[in-house]
Amino acid sequence: MQTKRFMSAAVAAALAWTSMGHAAWDGADDLPTNPLPCDGGGGSVAAKPYDGGTPSGAANMAGKKISLVDVPKLIGIGYFNATALGMQQAAEELGNVDVVTDGPTEANIDDQITFIDNFITQGVDGILFAANDPVAIAPVLKKALGQGIHVVGYDANSQPDAREWFVNQAEFNGIAKSMVDAMAAEIGDDGKFAIVTSTFTTPNQARWIAEMEAYLAKCHPGMEWLETVEAQEDNVLSFNQATTLINKYGDDLDGLFGMTSVATPASAEAVTQAGECGDIAVVGLATPNAMKPYVKTDCVRSVVLWNPVDLGYAAVYVTRAVVDGDLKPGGTSVDAGRLGTLQVINGSEILLGAPYVFDKSNIDGFDF
Amino acid sequence: MPDFGALLRGRPRLRAAVLSQEAVLLLALLALLLVVGLINERYVAERNLMSIALAHAYIAVAAIGMSMVIITGNIDISVGSLIGVLAAVCGTLANMGLPIGLAWLLPILLAIVISGSLGVLVAYCRIPSIVASLGYLSILKGGLIIWTGGAWITDLPENFGLALQRWGGVPAPIWAMLILTALAAYWMRNSRTGRAFYAIGGNAEAARLAGIPTQRMVVLVFMLNGLFAGIAGILFATQLKVIQTTVPPYLELTIITAAVVGGVSILGGTGTVIGSTLAAVLLAAIGSALIFIDVSPFWLRATYGTLILVTVLFDLHRRRLQQRAS
Repeated sequence: MQTKRFMSAAVAAALAWTSMGHAAWDGADDLPTNPLPCDGGGGSVAAKPYDGGTPSGAANMAGKKISLVDVPKLIGIGYFNATALGMQQAAEELGNVDVVTDGPTEANIDDQITFIDNFITQGVDGILFAANDPVAIAPVLKKALGQGIHVVGYDANSQPDAREWFVNQAEFNGIAKSMVDAMAAEIGDDGKFAIVTSTFTTPNQARWIAEMEAYLAKCHPGMEWLETVEAQEDNVLSFNQATTLINKYGDDLDGLFGMTSVATPASAEAVTQAGECGDIAVVGLATPNAMKPYVKTDCVRSVVLWNPVDLGYAAVYVTRAVVDGDLKPGGTSVDAGRLGTLQVINGSEILLGAPYVFDKSNIDGFDF
Repeated sequence: MPDFGALLRGRPRLRAAVLSQEAVLLLALLALLLVVGLINERYVAERNLMSIALAHAYIAVAAIGMSMVIITGNIDISVGSLIGVLAAVCGTLANMGLPIGLAWLLPILLAIVISGSLGVLVAYCRIPSIVASLGYLSILKGGLIIWTGGAWITDLPENFGLALQRWGGVPAPIWAMLILTALAAYWMRNSRTGRAFYAIGGNAEAARLAGIPTQRMVVLVFMLNGLFAGIAGILFATQLKVIQTTVPPYLELTIITAAVVGGVSILGGTGTVIGSTLAAVLLAAIGSALIFIDVSPFWLRATYGTLILVTVLFDLHRRRLQQRAS
């Protein structure tokens, strides 16, 4: 009796599911998109007035030696070691900048505030930061501005009026273009792909997917998007979901996108264990260390992210330009040494440029 | 339709076998394979069946320990965090250059100690297990982030991948799931200690009066839970070439779901580890099926939840029938 009831319930549920099938959850949000041109170059940038802050009564140090402190979210991890390395490279090139990196050993906003407060007391010419919390860090940054100290953010922003400029590592449409172009280069303009993402509630992933959808329609209309699966921030679940996609589509699947640093290595592992390296491409957002095993075996050719060395490098160039008066509120671009000219976006942000693609030739140069 | 009722009447053992949760789960699993296999035959292709069995092998191993804990009338909601910590410990030890066997073994011993200490809090300090393990969940989860700073463990030794090995063409985690389930099922059924676990969950006071050292037994069941969580943690850690140092979301809930859907009564005293393993595989098969029949992933958690409710309702119904019969 129970068995029968259970079975009929199960069958009814299965039927209900199939009838609802193809409910198109594609992982994208419904916000407006702004796909970049297919052939490179910047997208249309809506002009927005400067919304950063201004230091009061800053000494004119144009051309003179300045000392900066860098307070990242935390120190001692590969990612912020890389940004600090870029800062030292810029300081060496410029010759008239000293940078010291120091900060909390855990990504803790209270400790970070204490560090910044101490540096204000010591007296420095400028503070670079990557905020552990955009709101909580604002008062101490405003205090620095109030004492004539220049404040520039990178990697993780604060409220705009608590700092002067923020170096933005990547915009959503830029990441989307890099991802889709890398996939098209591997599987062709008529390739079929699926996406492994975190969850439908993570705003960054939803934004990237929406921009990828728009860019695909504009620049690679022949590519076929099979489906998107959810895999939380769980690498074993990501592996299982990617494996199921491989089993489901067989030879029809040409490529997998990993939308998180969890999903991408797990997808690469799934392709490896299925013996499909070379037949199914994996392109995704990920950190180099997690991807090295797969890049070395040629199973993965393109890992999209930004270059944290360049990010730190740009932050120092921006600060120098602000001190020298070369970058003022309302400016539209800034010169950043080997990176060339960087664009101002969103009022008071500087875009690092196109995302960085890690591959076999360069991935060993990074440790994060 | 033949009258199954008549066939079973007067044959209580056959009746019990057919109506057991294990039989229901097996039938549900076969029905799912049949229905989805008809929609898309690749679902029942050998490689997908292997993927399904592999997907929740570590969940099934952890669910063995969880089932034992629930059978004694307790619960451990910290097991997901524990597995996360063990994976990080395992990877760190391997990267320190320890012999690989030790890197696999020490985290299991650590798990027995941690879980055993939880058992002491429950048995001797009389903290309800749900509260004590909630504390452990937060401590382990937070401690993991503080210790690792969220950085992943990469660049693991070549021979680290225990879960990547295949014996006779079958992945190691599937062997672990099958062997451990068989051993644990036999032991629970036939050993004095196994019977004592059921007795404590059925009626702790009666068990104590019958001379069972209930407090020591509760500590022991948590230590066993640590043993199985430890093995699950090693399988989890060695399945991929990187170790994530954040605790996977919902891991403890999936393990508890496997135990409960497997027929382990949340009221304690009944259930088997064969049921929990079948349930773990069924949950994996459902997850795979949702992708094969193009159902939005929104439904996965809802399906798990429905299964829990259906199982618990049946359990209560069954108890009522038994009470009426006795």
